[in-house]
This record gives sequence, structure tokens and C-alpha cells, in this order.
Amino acid sequence: MRVPRVFITGVGVVSSIGLGKRAFFSGLEAGRSGITPVAQFDVSQLGRQLAGEVQGFEPRDHLTPAEAKRMGRCSMMALAAARMAVEDAALPAEKLAGPRTAVVLGTTMGEAQLLGELEREWIVNGPRAVRPSLVPRYGSTLLPIHVARALGARGMVLTLPAACAAGNYAIGFAADMIRAGRADVVVTGAAELLQELQYAGFVRLAAMAPERCQPFDLNRQGLLLGEGAGLLILESEEHAVRRGARAVAEVGGYGLSCDAYHITRPHPDAAGSIAAMRAAIERSGITPADVDFINAHGTGTKHNDAAESKVVREVFGGRRVPISSMKSMLGHCMGAASALEAIGCVYTLESGVYPPNINYVTPDPECEVDVVANVARRGKADVVINNSLAFGGYNAVAVFARPGVLPPPQAVA
Amino acid sequence: MNPRAITGIGVVSPLGTGRAAFLEGVRDGARASVTDGRADVPGFDPTKVLGDKGLRGLDRLTKLLIVAAREALHDAGLKKDNAWSARGGDEVGIVVSNAYGSLEAITELDRVSILEDARYINPSRFPLTVANSAAGYASIWEDIRAVNVSVSDGNCGGLDAAACADVLLAQRRARAILVAGAEPMSDALHLAFQRLGAVGETAFLGEGAAVLALEPSELARERSAQVLAELIGYGTAFEAPPREASLLHPSTDAMERAIAEALADAGVAPSDVDVVVSGISGLRVFDEAELVAIGRALGGERGERCVLAPKLAMGETLGGGGTFGMLCALAVLREAPRAPTTYAVRGALRTTPRTALVTSMGYYGNASAVVMRAAAR
Repeated sequence: MRVPRVFITGVGVVSSIGLGKRAFFSGLEAGRSGITPVAQFDVSQLGRQLAGEVQGFEPRDHLTPAEAKRMGRCSMMALAAARMAVEDAALPAEKLAGPRTAVVLGTTMGEAQLLGELEREWIVNGPRAVRPSLVPRYGSTLLPIHVARALGARGMVLTLPAACAAGNYAIGFAADMIRAGRADVVVTGAAELLQELQYAGFVRLAAMAPERCQPFDLNRQGLLLGEGAGLLILESEEHAVRRGARAVAEVGGYGLSCDAYHITRPHPDAAGSIAAMRAAIERSGITPADVDFINAHGTGTKHNDAAESKVVREVFGGRRVPISSMKSMLGHCMGAASALEAIGCVYTLESGVYPPNINYVTPDPECEVDVVANVARRGKADVVINNSLAFGGYNAVAVFARPGVLPPPQAVA
Repeated sequence: MNPRAITGIGVVSPLGTGRAAFLEGVRDGARASVTDGRADVPGFDPTKVLGDKGLRGLDRLTKLLIVAAREALHDAGLKKDNAWSARGGDEVGIVVSNAYGSLEAITELDRVSILEDARYINPSRFPLTVANSAAGYASIWEDIRAVNVSVSDGNCGGLDAAACADVLLAQRRARAILVAGAEPMSDALHLAFQRLGAVGETAFLGEGAAVLALEPSELARERSAQVLAELIGYGTAFEAPPREASLLHPSTDAMERAIAEALADAGVAPSDVDVVVSGISGLRVFDEAELVAIGRALGGERGERCVLAPKLAMGETLGGGGTFGMLCALAVLREAPRAPTTYAVRGALRTTPRTALVTSMGYYGNASAVVMRAAAR
């Protein structure tokens, strides 16, 4: 059986550096920081004040009043980004709607804010204070359901709560579904909210930086949290060609593994992460020499960046592949991170621009990699890698390429 | 779908813990003990299976999942005495369906945060609040390294997890995959369902973990593994509610389409289905919609088909519902002709069942179905 190519035909973004792909792309090129003092909840007692909060997102600009009423803010951002992606793909409603369109989304905690409200009602005012109307609106299950409903998609609706690798998981699985013939179009990506309990948790884990996120820098002090939504339209080659769509990128292979070592820390020998990156490259029918740029996981924690650098050195040998972490600008958007980074990869493929890794001051001998320091760089951009690691020991690596660059996909032997 | 052999199972349920207790319970038509709309796993003691060390920091969801996962690995002959005996950790994966995560841990931290101060939340408990925490711990405890995927699709998630495993196996991302569904009882979940009026005279919440070891049938044969039954088809569908203001939606159309797709995927005619293990749980409008869909999808050619509703005996386990349904189907296919009729809400088993359909109707217009067939005897 011929395995279809899988194309990305549109993207949509809700982020702290801009709404919509134009603002997002120009922000990436400029190295714009989306980090601001947290405004959504009180952090004054926590000793940390900053995060990459989405600014200026008005649900009424993107959703009908009825839609806004039935969903939480995470779903609102996901649906807004989905509508932008559909528009970007110039995908007419009649070609989008139907049983051959699936919605597969990643997240870490989904509508955690709604759960927080429910718990507060219960804990402060007792069980009878819990509003029944709020209960069915909670649950990460709902993210793809709200999106499918709004777009008329009638195939699979599925949430992959794969923590900080959720975006790559969703995109990878969506591509596999198309390759397996289970869908023609998949609306995919991920969304995440900044949320109080999660913010406090990272502070208590001593993982949060005080001022800025400095991936790969010697003096990095941890991550900053962020939020947002990044959605992509994936189509089979046949579907895209039939409707005359412009493919902006091809989804290559992806690699998955699990460290099975520690719930929050990457394995020090990085074997799982190395295997996932090699698998992604191999499954794309290319070699490490073909990779032009790495969009890093780069959280800005000591453990992560050292382990990730080791993986890159191991996979690419002496060859120095430019690498950059968008988390330096956006903070760590958790489940949405690798989806937004995948859209960053699309930008690189379209423009030849490697987004900068801002706040990079002092090289770290433990992170001996070619960091795109502070200012965007231009270069060859045929094939890029999107690396993600996650809580739970998850490793998920995806390859994206300019359409037509990768060899035809083969059935896996 | 290429046939996937179910080579082992593991289970913790209100009907009993362990394969033998569960299969016997289903065969004998056992019913869980229900108090105030909830059926907890009675006397759940993970130390019996996992030992004393390292359990204190884990939540109930994780412990339920690991106990069932370990049993499934051993039952499948993939492990012996807790060491890999067939395959290795880098060849085995796990897909876990769960709907609401660890509400136990979230509530614990929320209580501290709301009543005291967020500065005092216990950092060692924080990781448990993350949705894929239990799946991550299952990999750590059982050395499962090929893939680890968490899925969330409410009570359809267990069947979707099987579909994910099928795709991952087709892509050779693992040689064997544990398909798991797990949901723990918690005061928060119980309260939420009470406030919704979703527990009462007939409907109640259950809890537990149901795990199936899935392997491509040809690979199972190659290693001479036991085959308890085969998974041969999957279908899923979503239909939006007709009214803009609605959120909850029992969709007959989605269920009917999911069944038709699953049968087509399996290459099975509607008339070939001998028994249906439904997701009927005591919620009237959902149950009626599911029954209508089953009737429509299977047609009247063979007369009324036997429809079982094991959730009326063991409770709604949400993320675990689909894999519990698959285990019940496996029990019926294996234990025929002594299969239970006490779970039947329509028809009766007239023949030795060879082909079972498992259905699950979501709360929001989503529905999934799988087709299973008896192992060759």
C-alpha cells in the first residue's frame, strides 16, 4: 500500500508574543519576549511574578456568544487558533466538515481553571455550593469536542495529555492516522492555560527562574511558565492536491520513547531521547546530515538543557547544527509548547529564519551546542527537527520539511 | 485493522482483583457492592502485588494502574518474576486511557492552597496532579520504554486507547502494547456526579483499572503466546448537538456510525455479531440512544441481539469503561456457553458467541466501538 505524504496546509496561533501567525512569526524573528508580570491570579506570596501570559485575547473576536458560554478559556484559545488555521489553509467549510476529518489535540491540564473554580466552591462553601452547570465543562476531553463541533468535523475526537510533549504527540499521531488511512484531514496541535496551582507547583519544585528564561546559558535558573494555543491543519497529499491547497510543510517521521527513569527528570544517559531523535530522522528517510536546524525543548533548567545538548552531540556527532529554544521568548507553554514550536518550525521552513534563543549571555561547557544567540539567523531550511521531552519521561521528536524535500514515505518494515 | 492478539490481561475492579476473580465474577454475573452511588474496589491493597517500597508517595490512580499492568505483563508471558522474559522494555509500550486524572492529588493541593497558602503545597505531591503522571509511573515501575501514550476521551477513551495501540503497532513503534483504562474513585469525582444527578437508583460510579496486552497476531503466534481473544476492528464518530445551547449530547447517529465503521474495519457483517457489550450505565437518555443505535446498526436480520450492560453491575469507570468492556467481552467469548445472562438488558445468548461488539457512548456526541473475536480453539 502506498503511504500518503502528510502536509501542513495552515497554522493558527494564540501566544504571548502575538495572536495569529503574522504577529507570531514577526515576534519570533525579532526575538520578542512575551514574559510579563502575572495578571490572572495573585502570585505576590510566591516569590515569583513572571510568566508568558496571552495578552489581548478577546473570545468575542473569535467565538460566537454561545460558544464562549459553553467552554473554558483553554478551549476558547484552541478554537480561536483552529479557526485561524482553517483560514490560513483556505480550507472551505464543506471540505473540512465530515466524517473523514478528525480533531486530535494535546494539553497537559486542559480546563484546569474550571476545576480550580469547582474545587474552590466545594472547599470554601461546601458540596452544595458546587454548580452543576460547571461540572460538564471541565475535562480535557472537551478540547477537541468543542473544536470539532465548531468546524463540523465528525471523525475521531481525541485528547493526548502528554504533558510538555503533547503538541508533538498530537501532531505525530495525527500524521499516523492519515498514513493509516483513518482520516484525510486532522485538525491538531495543543493548548494550555496558565493556572494557579500549576504555577505554585513549579515554584515549590524550585524549577522557576526569577527573572528570565535562559536556555543553554551557564547561569540559567530555571523555566518560566507560559500559555497559548498552536493549531495546525494536516492533510493527506491527495486531499491537499485535489483541492489545490498550498502545502506549507511536510510532516516527516517522528520518534517516541519513554525513559522509565524518573517522573520529572530526564535520564542522565539520555538513551531514550537519543533513540527518539534517531527514530524521527530514520523514519523520515534522511540522515542527520540533512537536518538544518533544531527547535529545542530548551526549558532553561539545569537538567534539561544539559541532557538535550548531550542528545544533540550524540546524534549529530561533530556537526554543529544551529539550535534555539523558543521558550526563551514564550516561557514554557506546557502542553502547547511543542505545538507552538512546530509552528515555529513551519516559519523556519517558509522563511529560512532560525528564531533566536534570547537571554543567552554565557556559554555553558555542558551545553556545547550551536545556540542561535539573541538574534535571528538565516540559513538553509529544508529539514528541521522539533525536539520535546516531557514529564513522565516522555520523549517525542518530530521532523518537518519543505514540501517535496523528503523521500516518499515508505511502509514501515 | 490487522488482527491484534490479546495475550494477557490484568484487572483491579469492584468485582475482584486479578484475572481469575474478574472472569469468574463476570461469568457468575457478580454485582459490586454499592454505597451512596459509588462502588469502590473493596480492600484494595497494592502491597500484595507491588511490595511495600515506594508506594507511599503514589496516588490511588497510579497504584490501580500499576497493579493491573504488572499482572497483564505476566499473564501475557512478557514478564516472569518481574523481569522481561519475552521482548524487552524497549519493545513494549503502554497506552493509558483516563478521564479526570488524579482528582485526589489535585484536591489535596487545592485544599492547602485555598485554606492555607499556595506556598505550603507539598512539592512531592505536585507531579501527581499532571494528567499523564500515572502512565509515567507505570513505565518507571514496569520498565516500559518503547512508547508511553495517555489518552483522554471520557468513557470512550478505553476503546480509543486500543485504536491508538493499533496505529502504534502498525507503525512498528512497539512489538507489544499494554492498553489500559483506569479511573480512581475520589470524593471530588463522586461529588461532581452527584451534583449532576448522574448517580442514583440505577447509575453509579465504579473504579479500577483494566489492562490488555495487545500484540500483532502474527507476532503472538511466533512467540507461541496464549491468545485470549483478538481485536479486529475499531470505529469512532462525533456528532454535534442539534441545539446551540446544549453541551451534553447522547448521539444515536454517532454511535451507529462508530459501529458501522468498526464492523467495516473488521470485515464483519452486522449479522455476524453474536453479542454486544454496551456502555449502558443507568443514565436513561444515554442508554436509550445507545440501544437504538445498536439496533439500527446491527439490523433485524438475525432477530434481537443479546446486549449486555456490565456497568449496571460494576459501575461507570469513565476512562476505564472501554477496557472494562473489552475484558467483559473477552470473558463472554471465553466462558461461553456459561456466559452471563444476568448482565443482559436485551435478548439472550442463543449460540456460542464468536464475535463481540463493544460500544461506548460519550457524553458530548462522541462514540466509539470495537469488534473482538474469540481465539481459535
